Amino acid sequence: MGESILTAQNLSKVVPSAEGELTILHPLSLELNKGDSLAIVGASGSGKSTLLGLLAGLDLPSQGEVILAGRALSTLDEDQRARVRAEHVGFVFQSFQLLDSLNALENVMLPLELDGRKDAREHARHLLERVGLGQRLSHSPRQLSGGEQQRVAIARAFAANPDVLFADEPTGNLDSHTGERITDLLFELNKESGTTLVLVTHDERLAHRCRRLIRLEAGHLVGPLEP
Amino acid sequence: MARLPLLRLLSLAVRQLLRDARAGELRVLFFALLVAVAASTAIGYFGARLNGAMLLRATEFLGADLVLDGSSPAREEQIKVGTDLQLQHARVVEFASVIATDNGIQLSSIKAADAAYPLRGELKSAPQPYAEEQPGGGPSPGEAWAEARLLTALNLKVGDEIDIGSKPVRITRVLTYEPDRAGNLYSLTPRVLINLDDLAATGIVQPGSRVTYRELWRGEAPALEAYRQVIKPGLEANQRLLDGRDGNQQIGGALGKAERYLNMASLVAVLLSGVAVALSATRFANRRFDASALLRCLGLSRRETLWLFTLQLTVLGLLASLAGAVLGWLAQLGLFALLHDLLPADVPPGGLIPAIAGMGTGLVALAGFALPPLAALGRVPPLRVLRRDMLPIPASTWTVYGAALLALGLIMWRMSLDLVLTFALLGGGVIAALMLGGILLLGLQSLRRLLARASLPWRLGLGQLLRHPLAAAGQALAFGLILLSMALIALLRGELLDTWQNQLPKDAPNYFALNILPADKDAFGAHLMTLQAQAAPLYPVIPGRLISINGEPVQDIVSKDSSGDKATQRDLSLTWAANLPADNELTAGTWWTQQPAGDVPGVSVEAKVAESLKLKLGDHLMFTVAGVNREAQVTSLRSINWDNFQPNFFMIFQPGTLQDLPATYLTSFYLAPGHDKEVIELSRSFPAVTILPIDALLEQLRSILAQVTIAVEYVLLFVLAAGMAVLFSGLQSTLDERIRQGALLRALGAERQLLVKARRIEFGLLGATSGLLAALGAELVSLVLYRFAFDLPWHPHPWLLLLPVLGAVMVGGAGVFGTRRALNASPLTVLREG
Repeated sequence: MGESILTAQNLSKVVPSAEGELTILHPLSLELNKGDSLAIVGASGSGKSTLLGLLAGLDLPSQGEVILAGRALSTLDEDQRARVRAEHVGFVFQSFQLLDSLNALENVMLPLELDGRKDAREHARHLLERVGLGQRLSHSPRQLSGGEQQRVAIARAFAANPDVLFADEPTGNLDSHTGERITDLLFELNKESGTTLVLVTHDERLAHRCRRLIRLEAGHLVGPLEP
Repeated sequence: MARLPLLRLLSLAVRQLLRDARAGELRVLFFALLVAVAASTAIGYFGARLNGAMLLRATEFLGADLVLDGSSPAREEQIKVGTDLQLQHARVVEFASVIATDNGIQLSSIKAADAAYPLRGELKSAPQPYAEEQPGGGPSPGEAWAEARLLTALNLKVGDEIDIGSKPVRITRVLTYEPDRAGNLYSLTPRVLINLDDLAATGIVQPGSRVTYRELWRGEAPALEAYRQVIKPGLEANQRLLDGRDGNQQIGGALGKAERYLNMASLVAVLLSGVAVALSATRFANRRFDASALLRCLGLSRRETLWLFTLQLTVLGLLASLAGAVLGWLAQLGLFALLHDLLPADVPPGGLIPAIAGMGTGLVALAGFALPPLAALGRVPPLRVLRRDMLPIPASTWTVYGAALLALGLIMWRMSLDLVLTFALLGGGVIAALMLGGILLLGLQSLRRLLARASLPWRLGLGQLLRHPLAAAGQALAFGLILLSMALIALLRGELLDTWQNQLPKDAPNYFALNILPADKDAFGAHLMTLQAQAAPLYPVIPGRLISINGEPVQDIVSKDSSGDKATQRDLSLTWAANLPADNELTAGTWWTQQPAGDVPGVSVEAKVAESLKLKLGDHLMFTVAGVNREAQVTSLRSINWDNFQPNFFMIFQPGTLQDLPATYLTSFYLAPGHDKEVIELSRSFPAVTILPIDALLEQLRSILAQVTIAVEYVLLFVLAAGMAVLFSGLQSTLDERIRQGALLRALGAERQLLVKARRIEFGLLGATSGLLAALGAELVSLVLYRFAFDLPWHPHPWLLLLPVLGAVMVGGAGVFGTRRALNASPLTVLREG
């Protein structure tokens, strides 16, 4: 079904360590189509975040290739990869990564301003209303609860209308009730905008809401599981 | 090519800056820059304006701002240039003439001046000899103002008529003070001042007669400079330009030293600001690692990220500099308002240059000190958004310190315009910093062994320092530099003031006695003894002129505008002496010890004159003295302390070489104020002797030194204030981690008292170490400065050992104060912010 947006071929990552070379990700391949959703699950240190970083082009693999939106990332330099991110990718992080000096509205405006959009303020306001924070526009991150901060981050991630949304433990810092509401929001927006979703989590309930799921153990893929 | 146009980045940067500012993120950096620029602008203005005021005072010694002096009349176009520039103009013609009456004849120095003279300062005169003097005015046509000694010599009184050449004039007042006489104390003949309108009628000034023409100018500095530039290329061989600095050697020396001190002080202010900017810019960069990584995730390229932050800093720098310049300008206005009783009413405004220089200094410091930490932002890996522990690859140490040193060097060079001094200070500073830093690091590491057995507050306080010994050493060096700068400025202030005070001892001579006849010599000396006056020896004086050097006429050798020129353009006061006069120092050759002289007698020449006449030991000089030619050979060169107000001579002959020629004697003496009667009596007992009071000159000099002293004190205050501010803002930048740690400890159940104790230990130790470094550094730097910049004798300063105590108190107090948030705020709030 549909066309491929993200492909990983024989992806592996090796880092130097005190005891010689350490393989933190053993070769794996996968392919995602537009509108797909993928959960990467595993214990701490299993290589989940490493895989996410490689898929998003934040880091380069030791071997193998990632093709994101038709571009082979290893052939691009860091600035060209940055442009691919700007045009095709959005992020949601476990630690929210909001800028303290900006209020909620300005944090959401940031990617729009970088894109030079004239309606940045309007669009950001609309998005914040969509995630239920219409009354909190001028609050600084410190004045918001964890769940509210993550909603701002989600609004920011969807602001630039990305093809692929990478989420790293999006509910990791939240209580289960809030986590659930954030998850609902994430999937609603994903459905509305037709974005491809890649999320790293050890929350099995969140993982099972994705169409596809892979499990990592000590850097090994222990089996793709179809839902 | 960047994806985002510069303009969009700029607008983003400005918006980001406003948001950061609103969030209070930029306070420290902004404040550091503000203080830096304000301090250096205020000092710049204060220095420039005070210098202007002092020059103004100095111009009084010249009677004008600028004088065109020549032995032929100035050409029409030379006058027109000045009047076209709207400069005020006055004309003076000076010549010597014999005044004859029934009572005798007296060679006199006639000055014919127009009504505009003098342009700076005032004439003073009295209705009768020794009556109270009044300032202002000048002789009208047909009138003459004569010095009292002329009246004494010729037995004249006010109201009598004398002939100047073929023009009869009536003496209407006694001339007591001419502003432009001060620079020329040694004129031996009494002065008669007449109106310029009477000059032609005297019939004395004919082509070929020896006359000095002086065109006096007064006006704004730019116009004067323009005049100087236009006039200079077309000067005749006999013409030269004089300004305030040429007017008087003593004033020139004091001004030079004051200027250097003020420059040093601004330099120190800049140094302090550099430290503050470096500290706060590093903090600025460190707190933006996350933002930088996030922006890269959002698709900004490395270059764009870097540009974004650079633009932010640039805009911030410009705003802070502008505000600082305005603040500095206001501060100096306030300062001058405070001092208005002591300063002349018409202190010239400083212009825009000090403000621009202050802003430039701030921006260069920002570039040199802030760009290296900023560059690290461009290297933050975007992966940091997933892994907080990923830090940017540090910049090469050479780049970081190279940029800072380059910035410092540029600023220092601009301020001192002295490459040797700049290199000496910078090089010495770097070597000292490396050595002291190394020792400090070793010391800290050896402390680590003691740590395990220490009590908890010590383990906490010391542990904080030992955990990052490199950072601790860096901080100690930075605070050390601040303390060092403040100590140095305090040190120099004391030293300079002492030197100045010593230059003008309380009993500096306040009278000169000239024209003492050989027959009166012993009696005069005895009379002075009975007055208990402190007198210099009596020196014989013979007017003579240097005509050739090694057979070559002097005019062919001497360069224009040099003091050598002065030495050949007019009669020199020649003397002989068996012993080297006090305050003279031989710089070459030997003083004569044996008598009598060889075939060609020896002469000792003042070193600066010798330099401008290109004289070497062994050169043969020919003088014409009272119509006779006398040859002498240069046997030694001397430097003279011009500040001592003693009789000083350019040329001193070997005894026995001029004795056969007619001489008079000269001396100076000090008589406590309130002895006017005795002076009048002395003058009546020796009518031929000229007694010149120089109180007015001394008073003027003292008032200038008093101004300089006030300036120095205020500048010191400025530097100290800037230093304190910088110390606090510098400390601020190291507090984040400590506040967090404090909150954590409190969350774990630590009592406030324990935390306060640990902080005191940590910051007290840091301060004491900084103070120790500062004490060592200040001694080193002062050694270099005294030698090369100020020409002062150096000796150790034990009081510098107070610096470690001072450092412990200041840094300790500021540290505890700065981290009080960790003690008072809810630990949860602090921890959640991290």
